Amino acid sequence: MTPQQHHRPSRTTIALGALSGLLAAAVAVGVGELVAALTDPATSSLVVVGGTFIDLTPEWLKSFAIATFGDQDKIALLAGIVATLAIVAAALGVLAARDLRLGVMGIVAFGVVGSVAALTRPGATLIDLLPTLMGTACALVALVLLIRTLVQPASPASPVPDLGAGTDPGVIRLATGEPASRRSFLALSAGTFGVAAGSMVVAQVLSGRPTQAASIALPAPSSPAGAIPAGADLALDGLSPYITPTDRFYRVDTALVIPSVDVASWRLRIGGMVDRPMELDYAALLARPLAERVITLTCVSNQVGGKYAGTATWLGVPLRDLLAEAGVQAGADQIVSRSVDGMSIGTPTTVAMDGRDAMIAVGMNGAPLPAVNGFPARMLVPGLYGYVSATKWLTEIELTTFDAFDPYWVTRGWAPEAPIKTMSRIDTPRPLSTLPAGRLAIAGVAWAQHRGIDGVEVRVDGGPWQEARLAAVDTIDTWRQWVLEWDATPGRHLLEVRATDATGATQPEQRAEPFPDGATGWHSVVMTVA
Amino acid sequence: MRISGRRSLMTSLTVGALALGLTSSVAFGQSMAPMADTPFGAGCAAVPADGDGSFAGMADDPVATAASANPILSTLVTAVTAAGLGDTLNGAEDITVFAPTNDAFTALDPATLEAALADPTGLLTTVLTYHVVPGRLSPDMLAGTHPTLQGGELTVEGMGDAFTVNGANVVCGNVQTANATVYLIDAVLLPPAE
Repeated sequence: MTPQQHHRPSRTTIALGALSGLLAAAVAVGVGELVAALTDPATSSLVVVGGTFIDLTPEWLKSFAIATFGDQDKIALLAGIVATLAIVAAALGVLAARDLRLGVMGIVAFGVVGSVAALTRPGATLIDLLPTLMGTACALVALVLLIRTLVQPASPASPVPDLGAGTDPGVIRLATGEPASRRSFLALSAGTFGVAAGSMVVAQVLSGRPTQAASIALPAPSSPAGAIPAGADLALDGLSPYITPTDRFYRVDTALVIPSVDVASWRLRIGGMVDRPMELDYAALLARPLAERVITLTCVSNQVGGKYAGTATWLGVPLRDLLAEAGVQAGADQIVSRSVDGMSIGTPTTVAMDGRDAMIAVGMNGAPLPAVNGFPARMLVPGLYGYVSATKWLTEIELTTFDAFDPYWVTRGWAPEAPIKTMSRIDTPRPLSTLPAGRLAIAGVAWAQHRGIDGVEVRVDGGPWQEARLAAVDTIDTWRQWVLEWDATPGRHLLEVRATDATGATQPEQRAEPFPDGATGWHSVVMTVA
Repeated sequence: MRISGRRSLMTSLTVGALALGLTSSVAFGQSMAPMADTPFGAGCAAVPADGDGSFAGMADDPVATAASANPILSTLVTAVTAAGLGDTLNGAEDITVFAPTNDAFTALDPATLEAALADPTGLLTTVLTYHVVPGRLSPDMLAGTHPTLQGGELTVEGMGDAFTVNGANVVCGNVQTANATVYLIDAVLLPPAE
């Protein structure tokens, strides 16, 4: 054992050891980000590990973060993670100054944790280990170099002065100004900092590359959508357009960072209870016969009158074609689809295969899916809420059973099967607005996907229900606009709407919360006529 | 020259923390949204620590839904429901709501409260909409006279953590909901007579 291990290190050693640990950690982060930017940004260790920690944070801690930091709770939690990481890194550095082997073991342990986190993500391949492995390796090199420079043993030519127990010969060298050692350490520290910072900068530059989606040309569908009837869009002021523009399409997800998927390395794996597991890359997916359909998508979290519904023209591979090729085995009653960031979604197999236009969508309103909407591919099943059907950044489809597996939202208490409930909404007049007296249009949308909307009624101030005029039907998987011409008299008014679907069922007045399987109730708007 | 223990400790920890913080914060930087203000006021202690009624829960919900999860706003929610204003408050975009707590309703003259509840689409709606101001007012925009969606104006005075609205105290302010910034107040505001 070297003399250092028998002495309590001086404060200077502790300090510089801590610095070495922090710098090694900074190198790990910087190099990890750089390698991730070159391979796949979603795999950088911090993003993966940070996301996992956010999920594991107990509710009371999350609320404390909100109460103290407002809606920057995520930043606060991540700052807490970084602070903890910094403390651990500093402690490792101090340990390493006493015994380099301890520091090395500590860094290797972190490398193992990061590697496990990276590998356990769905669709992970060995390439995804690279950021963690490279980061760990560079951190090891940095720590070893720094600590070795810090605790250089005395050379035989200069006897160690006896300053009593508790002093560290190596640091006394620094303290009494052995220039070579101190300068080396400072130079090495500066260099390490430069490597860490430089890697970060290059990583940022690389991530700023234009997305690949812009350069993709989608093939024409072999099964195009029927022409949208002329009267399907009433084109009224304040009324939601029939087709929701892509940049106004709602977005609901739990993604900490929007996955930036590299199309060249992306794969869709179909497996589980199938006769012939499949793996397709993007080109193979696009080479298949594609269908184009107009479908209205709705989030289960949509409150009465909420905005989490949208309609787009989707281009994709029919899901039943893929599943038929894979050969779904009897008894596989649940399709579990997974995204690159770990989200799991469960869909009833019978619903997906009953002939409706369920698809793996690659195109939205004529262009490849934007990253926020699920590039390169997402699932869609008309008639089911998104949380049981519409996996974004899709990478895996597994045929299994409801008994065997509870997907993400089901483990949080949401219903495993969730057909979209009939709903209608007043888009105009806006709540608490003031409009001039005279003829006014009360207008909005109504939906009951995969059943169809038969009628919409409106009542003013609790009076008799009046039939609204409906826009032309496109398909049963889309919403329908409606309008009622109203002779508005001055005063404050309460407007209400309800819809009847094609099975003859009218929306119930009874209010239900979105949890666990969708909201119900008649939407109302209070406004003033001047 | 001797490097003093304490100074080198502070210096090196600062440099190291800076290095780590710089790299980590840049790594996370792109996913982060701009800073929002935080709730203030002694009355904030009465807001539940977790669940839908907590600050975290309310931030994701539109204002009427957020209030319905909060026990100290239960009387207000009853009034809003009676007036049929729930959807309207949830659907209005970017508003500021001055929300009277249960204590505020207790302090209200009982005759006025009865008259309002007896006239849900009339007097009650008038009183409730007098608590809603268009636009999301942050604390530094709060002081001043503001138009309400009822038609009348209200006046806010004060600064920092201490504000009054037509004389009522803001007990917990700058609470974020999905569509509204909420300031809890300890009195019910009555609109000026027409």
